[in-house]
Amino acid sequence: MGSLMDYMKAYNLLGKYKIRALRAAYVNSAKEAVDFAKGKMIVMKLISDKALHKSKSGLVKLSLSNPKEIESAFAELTKKGNSLKPYKVLVQEQIVSGTEIIIGGNTDPQFGKLILLGLGGIYVEVFKDVSVRVCPITDYDASEMINGLKSKQIMLQDPRNEKIIKTLLIDVSNFLVKNQNIAELDLNPIILHDGTYDAVDLRLIEE
Amino acid sequence: MAEKYYNLDTMLKPKSVAIIGASQSPEKVGHIIMQNYLNVGYGGEIYPVNVSGNDTILGRKAYKSVLDIKKPIDLAVIAIPAKFVPQSLEECGKAKVKSVIIVSSGFSEVGDTALQDQIVSIAKKYALPVLGPNCLGVMDLRSRVDTMFLPTFKIDKPSIGGVSFASQSGAVGSTVLDLISHENFGLSKFISYGNAAVIDEADILNYLAHDPDTRVIIFYIEGVKRGKKFIEVAKEATKIKPVIIIKGGITPAGSSAAHSHTASLAGSYAAYEAVFDQFGFIQAKSLDDMLYFAKIFEAQPLTTKKRVAIITNGGGVGVLAADSLYLNGLEMAELSENAKKILRKAMPPIVNMAMPMDMGGDADDKRFGAAIDVLSKDENVDALMIISLFQTPGADSRVAATIIKYGTESMKPVVVVSPGGNYAEVHNNMMESSGVPVYPSPEDAAKALAALVKYSEYRERMGSSNAKNKNNKKSKRDNK
Repeated sequence: MGSLMDYMKAYNLLGKYKIRALRAAYVNSAKEAVDFAKGKMIVMKLISDKALHKSKSGLVKLSLSNPKEIESAFAELTKKGNSLKPYKVLVQEQIVSGTEIIIGGNTDPQFGKLILLGLGGIYVEVFKDVSVRVCPITDYDASEMINGLKSKQIMLQDPRNEKIIKTLLIDVSNFLVKNQNIAELDLNPIILHDGTYDAVDLRLIEE
Repeated sequence: MAEKYYNLDTMLKPKSVAIIGASQSPEKVGHIIMQNYLNVGYGGEIYPVNVSGNDTILGRKAYKSVLDIKKPIDLAVIAIPAKFVPQSLEECGKAKVKSVIIVSSGFSEVGDTALQDQIVSIAKKYALPVLGPNCLGVMDLRSRVDTMFLPTFKIDKPSIGGVSFASQSGAVGSTVLDLISHENFGLSKFISYGNAAVIDEADILNYLAHDPDTRVIIFYIEGVKRGKKFIEVAKEATKIKPVIIIKGGITPAGSSAAHSHTASLAGSYAAYEAVFDQFGFIQAKSLDDMLYFAKIFEAQPLTTKKRVAIITNGGGVGVLAADSLYLNGLEMAELSENAKKILRKAMPPIVNMAMPMDMGGDADDKRFGAAIDVLSKDENVDALMIISLFQTPGADSRVAATIIKYGTESMKPVVVVSPGGNYAEVHNNMMESSGVPVYPSPEDAAKALAALVKYSEYRERMGSSNAKNKNNKKSKRDNK
């Protein structure tokens, strides 16, 4: 029932709709990873269809910046990767801390594309504090999706976040409407910080 | 837009009706349906049809098949065992019957999708509007059409009014009809549509949205057949008139019960909630709420402003009312200086001018009248909640009459809170029959007011609040 779209393909596709994920690339060697980092902090992930919960199975390495750290992380992941073939190694800019939100997309058998907003992290599952709308959504719908959440105040600690979330919701709705073949979308988490955002993980499921 | 959806006019206002399965045995559904037609004083032609070939049924000439009638037939009601339905429907098509209601059950709701598919394809072949199967059919109090197979003595029939009610479930439908008459608001049309094999939710909503006799729609659904069409119709319908909706099967347990009930693919409840929220429905979460909302929408004007004045003849209930305003997102009105000045003269010195205004346990019709008069005119007040506890010494029929006078004339929404037993009930019925909604508790009244405000805001946002003129006139009941 549907297949997970390749990360970089999803990254590029969403980019066309102004939905920007963290800069990322697949690497084939530790050297490529070092070049990608250019001295900045990066994250390294092992991507495999056999590994769904990356952070739980130790397939994500955080806060790598000097070449030595990058080389040993690469070695460790490729070793783990042997049992999860086929796999790829993805490097990504390291995120800074901020408010985590989640934006999701889904296909309802009756009403078509749905869009969902919730506070990110573990909270979304515990409190089930999410708002859902049928796509396409209007500007008003986007505002009401935020207003309808109990976690609104956490989300809008930085008042600039409101506009960021609204714009993102409308862009994602637009994306879902124009890409009917995408059955599911997961931007989880999106980190809001310093008046901007970083979509850290992308998941697109094609029908 | 209209031609994309079935027009239900001939079904609801037929000049001639064939009752297929009409019978001389009183326990047969076909017998009861026919008897009901006669009982409600239907003025058109009635043709009983029964394969057994009786000469007459209930005093009317009977036919073996609709094909033998050879006169124009606006509506055929089919109440025979499921396996004979396709043939009977085929005959309706050949006889150029204009619309059909299939009351019989035993189709997709019991897993026989093949039999239901047969019906759908026959209906398509003859472009026949078919309601059901597995339904109670329709009731239109103005055209005196009633296809329900419920003995009339077992169910109170509502008076004629502006609320139309569509229900997927026949049981919810008939129960609610009984309750509507108890809540004293008027009904326009009732449509029980069962499995929605041909005519579905989108058709019904579209029809009622454009029906001039319908001012308020209430809708019980378990699922909808064509989600996107339903949204398309809803966008237009909710701009024209309030649509109160209640969905059965919102939990996994309810959902599986609903599926076996009418076999419609339910979709997720989250999606339904999103649709209700987004497209201006007024969602009720219980049958009580559904009726309580219908009452206020039928008779009271819209308002986007939410400053509510509370007057009471009992302090404690006033406090609860203040709480319930707050809990439902409404505001307490603060009277203007001018209003206070006038009221100080009309009330005993002990009465405090702050809201909720407790007029005292001895408040009589004069005190009620003075207060309501001033509040109706005060620009700081958008709506009135009148708590009339009929257990108190001052409250009697004159108080009820005063509330009716202002409640039907004020340009602001008026709700009454009047809990109590038989004595209160008599007065509540008087008020409600005149178009003043009465609630058993302040919570229920506040919830209804909040629903009114929320819907009014939606209309304003959609730029269709100019229809206010229509909705802002209080509707006098056209009782039968």
